[in-house]
This record gives sequence, structure tokens and C-alpha cells, in this order.
Amino acid sequence: MDQAKYAELFRTEAREHLAELDATLLTFEQDGDSARVPEYVASLFRNTHTIKGMAAAMGYRGAERMAHALETLLDGARRGPLHARDALLELLFDGTDALRLCVDDAVAGRGESLPPVLIPLLQRVSAFSHATDDQSDSAPDAPHHDDARHAHATVSAGVPETSLEAERSGRAESAAALVERTVAVRLTADCPLKGVRAMLVMARLESMGSISAVVPAQTTWQDDRFDGAFTVHVHTASEAEAIEQAVRGAGDVARVVVAAPAPRSARDASSEALRTVRVDRRRLDTLLELVGELVINRDRLLPLAEEADTSAGRLLSRAAHDTARLISALQDEVLQARMVPVGHVFDRFPRLVRDIARDLGKDVQFVTEGREIELDRSLLDAIADPLVHLLRNALDHGIEDPSVRRTAGKSPSGQLVLRAVRDRSTVILQVEDDGRGIDRAAILRRAKRQGLVAESVMELDDDALLHVLAAAGFSTARAVTAISGRGVGVDVVTTRVRALGGTLELETIEGQGTVFTLRLPVTLAITRALLVRVSDATYALPAAHVVEVLEYTPGMIVTAAARESITLRDEVIPLLHLRERFGLPRRPDDSYVAVVESGGRRTALAVDALLAQQDIVVKPFDAVRGSAPWFSGATVLGDGTPALIVDLGSLT
Amino acid sequence: MNRTVLICDDAIFMRTMVGDILQQAGFEIIGEAETGVQAVEKYRQLRPDLVTMDIVMPDMGGIDAVREITKGDPTARILMCSAMGQQALVVEAIQAGAKDFVVKPFQPSRVLEAVNRVLAA
Repeated sequence: MDQAKYAELFRTEAREHLAELDATLLTFEQDGDSARVPEYVASLFRNTHTIKGMAAAMGYRGAERMAHALETLLDGARRGPLHARDALLELLFDGTDALRLCVDDAVAGRGESLPPVLIPLLQRVSAFSHATDDQSDSAPDAPHHDDARHAHATVSAGVPETSLEAERSGRAESAAALVERTVAVRLTADCPLKGVRAMLVMARLESMGSISAVVPAQTTWQDDRFDGAFTVHVHTASEAEAIEQAVRGAGDVARVVVAAPAPRSARDASSEALRTVRVDRRRLDTLLELVGELVINRDRLLPLAEEADTSAGRLLSRAAHDTARLISALQDEVLQARMVPVGHVFDRFPRLVRDIARDLGKDVQFVTEGREIELDRSLLDAIADPLVHLLRNALDHGIEDPSVRRTAGKSPSGQLVLRAVRDRSTVILQVEDDGRGIDRAAILRRAKRQGLVAESVMELDDDALLHVLAAAGFSTARAVTAISGRGVGVDVVTTRVRALGGTLELETIEGQGTVFTLRLPVTLAITRALLVRVSDATYALPAAHVVEVLEYTPGMIVTAAARESITLRDEVIPLLHLRERFGLPRRPDDSYVAVVESGGRRTALAVDALLAQQDIVVKPFDAVRGSAPWFSGATVLGDGTPALIVDLGSLT
Repeated sequence: MNRTVLICDDAIFMRTMVGDILQQAGFEIIGEAETGVQAVEKYRQLRPDLVTMDIVMPDMGGIDAVREITKGDPTARILMCSAMGQQALVVEAIQAGAKDFVVKPFQPSRVLEAVNRVLAA
């Protein structure tokens, strides 16, 4: 068997299963309800078992050994009641990390034996398994619990596995009996404390099966706004009448409707798998580059085709137009193929946040929103590190210790939210915490000391604050912590975000919290631009941000406090002469003004000429160190001239 | 045989009110408690079929009493009596082991419905 060829494939797949393990462990840890434990254990067992099988097939004995030890541990947990839940979870978390190490080692060529550093862990796992075995043996009735709840929950979601699970646990459950039902409940209008009543309904449903979804989320039930109507999706073998009766038995239920959707068939599950295909990401990058070149050539071809006068020329023109249309369609498809839900990156974070929070002794609820929002994959890869930076900052400097929070009248548990939202052709990512906010006064003092801000400045608003924080080398961290490295690290985040053609914004309220907002273009490589001439050179303005274009007339100028603005209908917009900003020689007066919007603010840019609006292929731009930060990239136009792409966020 | 009830509330008139409602419906009031500590003790002594528990009481609150009683007897049937606007506390009480709740001011019919639900479960 060709090891090398399969090694990468093994690693990719093993990683997916390891990610599943992490996710399940996190959910398990946070779920105080014991009804779902068998479901979690079953999922953990499955994933570990699969990794073991794959490792064995590859001859990776080290990984196989570790996976086998964990599998035995989980098997014990499956067969009997749960002992020492916390210790078990710790062991499983460590075990997952160990497996990850084994997998990487194996792929690097050291797969024969277990990394020596993992031997102590292996011993701990074995010891735990034997200890729990003893306890299970002394309670012979345990696996044969009469508890209906236990019986239902052991059969895991996903019908193909269900029959195996049922056989293994030696129960008489028939696999097909487990069905997903939608239970729509409405409480009586005069029901007091609807949130609590809903909880009691949930408790009854939980004893009948495993809950897969609740709408609206249970966290909203204790709000004043909760109106007592909710829907629960539950995997259960119970009949509709039994479910209805159970729900009504909770009291104050006005209406309950149990829908019986079709049972999930094994066929659905496998055809889903067949619908996707793995592609090497380098292929996608190459595809995009090629399409980019095609786009440029299309833009060269079209105007040339127009000029053709002869009949042959007209045929050529038609062919050129058809080709252009196809290239546009191809461009769309390739861009779509590169789109990836941000969840792929977001999913790494809960485990990271948990670990960091634990190390720092902070109690944190981490929420992600908008996992399904899509972003170009290279953009997403590039933004992962900045997000980690911001999350670390929030945990280290933002969210306070539980005792500090309690003193301040806050809940001891801090809230950290990572959110993705789509806004036309931008994706907005936010990192929000309800911590202590940024100490403006302290930053101001330090900024003055470092000469970044004039002495006369009395206060820093959010924008100015961000500017200061983003200045290279600025740091107010009293101690450079191991967690965050050099203080805030906002300068690194800003640089990276700008390089991707995005912007960074800050909002902070002392005592209440901080929000960092990143705005990114949806796709990196091809973008529509407004080409303008300033002095002798051509520049590209991202068309998505161009709001309006006007002729420049002296009459539109308004001067206040030595700054020029223009009036546009009722709006006063600051004016910027690009020529001055870029330090280019003076030429005859500006002729046009392009009004752009970036980061919620509008600016009017005075340019010499408007050239064209067209698609450009964005080429990465390695700016010379210490040079002006006004450009986020470069492009080559159809006629071979280069044009710099203006980073609007840096101008204003 | 009549079902037995232990009534826990620090206010005499609340105990009387609940007691009247339940007595008229045929329940036997075998004990009363004024504090959480008393509630736990009397439960152990008397082993009632049902407990009504006020959320706020001196000397160990209702929620802690629920926890203690349930620890000693996981099958304990406890009905929380709460005032409006104490939702979070009721949630905590349920999580601590209470089976259901009623809200003051009491409507006899609601109280009896809740009691029957708790006894039926």
C-alpha cells in the first residue's frame, strides 16, 4: 500500500473526527442534563472507533494504541452509569489532544510507536477504565435499568448506526422505531411564568427521547418577551398521543401539535455524502488565477471586437461577446466554489476559548453567530489568526474575574460573542465581550507619553482610540502575558485586515464591554473597481464602496476649521485631494469627485479623471516597509499598465 | 387514605390559606414549617406525600431546602409557591428538584391542578 499517498488523506479525515470529538466533549461538558449523556458517549465512541480503524489500516500503531485505550474507556462509559463525570471528561479532552499528536507524528513518519511523552496518559486512561469496570461489576443491574429515558437515549441519531448500537447494547429496540418528531406547543395566554412552564414541558419531552432542536432557543425563554409558543424537535420512539399527553401533563398547555415527519433513511445520509467532493485547495487557487487572467483578457478582447467593421469582424464580435458572457459565468462559479462557511474556522474556537478561559481563571460563555455565512477560503484562512488575537484579548484584558464581575453587579460568567453577518458585498465579523471595556484615560496618557497624541487632546473617541492602539508597538499591558504576547496586538490585526482589503472598527464602553468589528470583502481575488487618474497614474477604487460620482465645481466647497468639505444635497462630506494625499505633483485642477463610503463614513475624493468601471484581478501587494498604508493591493489592467488599489479605510 | 401534605411558608396566613384549599379538597395537613431548616427536618420526620414550599424563607431559603430534601429523598414531590416576578428563582427551584409551581395570589383551582399534577407524576 502506498503510504505516502494515503497519509494526507488519513490526516484530513482523522482531523475531522478529532474535531467532532472536541465539539461533542464541549457540548457534553456544558450540558448539566444527564439524559443526553448516552448520546454523547455514543458519538465519542463512534469517532474514536473510526480513528482506531483508520490508524490500524495505515499501520500506525501508536495512534491505534491510544485510540484503542480511549475506545475502551468510552465502551465502559457506554455500558454502565456514568462515574466521575468530571474526571472522565478531563481524561477525554487530554486523550483527544494526545490522539491529535499521534496522528501528526504518524503522518510525519513516526507512526510505529506511541510518542513516549504520552505513556503516562495512556496509563491514566487504563487505570480509569479498570476502576470504572470494578464499579460497574458491583452494580449488576446497571445496564438493565428499567428507566425508559435510558432506553431511548442509548439509540443514537442516524439510522445506519442505530441498528448496530441497538444490537450491541442488547436491547430489544427496533432501529426503525426511532423517529424525529416536531412538537409545537403553545401555553395558555394566562399562564404565569411561561418560561418556567416551558421548562417543565421540556423536562417531560427530554424523558421521552433526545432533543435535536428547540425554537426559539431556550435561552430566550426566561425573557419577558417569551410568548409561550415554542417548537421542539425530538428523536423518540413514542407515539404522537403519548407525546401529546406527556406535554399536556405539564400543565397550562393550550395547544400541542405533534407532527410526524418521514423517518431519516440511510439513503438520504449517503447521498448527501456523495454530493460533495474533496478538492486540493491549491487547485482552487490556480483555477481562480486562471479565471482572473481570462477576465483581463476578456476586457481586452471586447473593445477590440467592437472595432471590427467587416462582416468577418462582426462574426468575431459576436463570438467575443459570447465568450465574454461565458467567462463571467465561469468567474461566478469559481468564486462560489471557493466560498466556505465561516463556521469552518469558527468551530475551532470554542475549544480554544475554553482552554484559555480556564487558564486565566475566567468564567466565559462563548457564543458564535452566523456560522453559515460564506467567505472566500483564502480570506477566511487569513482572518483566522486575527480573530484568535481578538478573542485572546477579550479573554485576557476584557472579561474580568468572576469576583470582580460580581462586585460590579455583573453575572460572574462573562459573555463572549463571535458573530458573522453579511452586508451586500461585505462580510462583517464581530468580537464582542461584556467585560471592563478599554480604559481610555490610560491609553490617552500612554499615547501622550509616546508622542502619538498632542497634549491638548482631552479625550479619545472610539476612532482615535483604535488609531492609537493600532500604532505599531503600542502597548499598555502591565505585564506581557503569555496568553496575549505583546499587550493588545491590535496593530497586528489591523495590518492583516487592511492587507485583505478590509477595515477594523472599535466600540467600547467602560465597565460594559468592547466590540471589534471587521469588515471584509466577500471575495478576495476579483473585484469591481472604478479606475481613476490622479496626476499621471491610474488608481483603482473598490466600486462597492463608491456611492456617487460628480463633476468637481469650486462652488461645492465648504471650508471649516481649515478642512475642506463638499455639500451634496443636504450632506456635508469631507473632501480629500488624492493628489495631495499621495504626494503627487500638481496638475491642472481636479475635475471629478468620487464619494466613497467606508466603515460607515463618507469621504469625497478629488481626482483628475474618471477612466472606467470594470472588474480587476487583485494581486497581493507587498508594501515596502515604512511606506504609506494607502494601498491594499495592485492590479494589472488589460493594456498592461499597473494600477494600485486604494485602501479607503486608511485614507480617512 | 388521605394524601398528606407538609406546608412550608414563613407567613402564617399563607400557610392557613394553602392549608384551607388543600383540606377542603380532602388532603391531610400533617405538618407546617416556617423556615428552610424546619422544612428539611419535618420532611425527614413526617415523610409527606407532597410538600408546598415558599421560595423565600429565613434560615435557609426554599431553594436550598428543596435541594436538601431531594438529596435525602429523590422521589420527593415538592410544589413551589412563588410571587409574580420571581421567574429566575423558580427556574432555580425546578433545577434543584421541585416538580411544579404555583404563583401568588393563589387561585384554588390552579393550586389543586398543580398538586394533582405533582402527585400524578
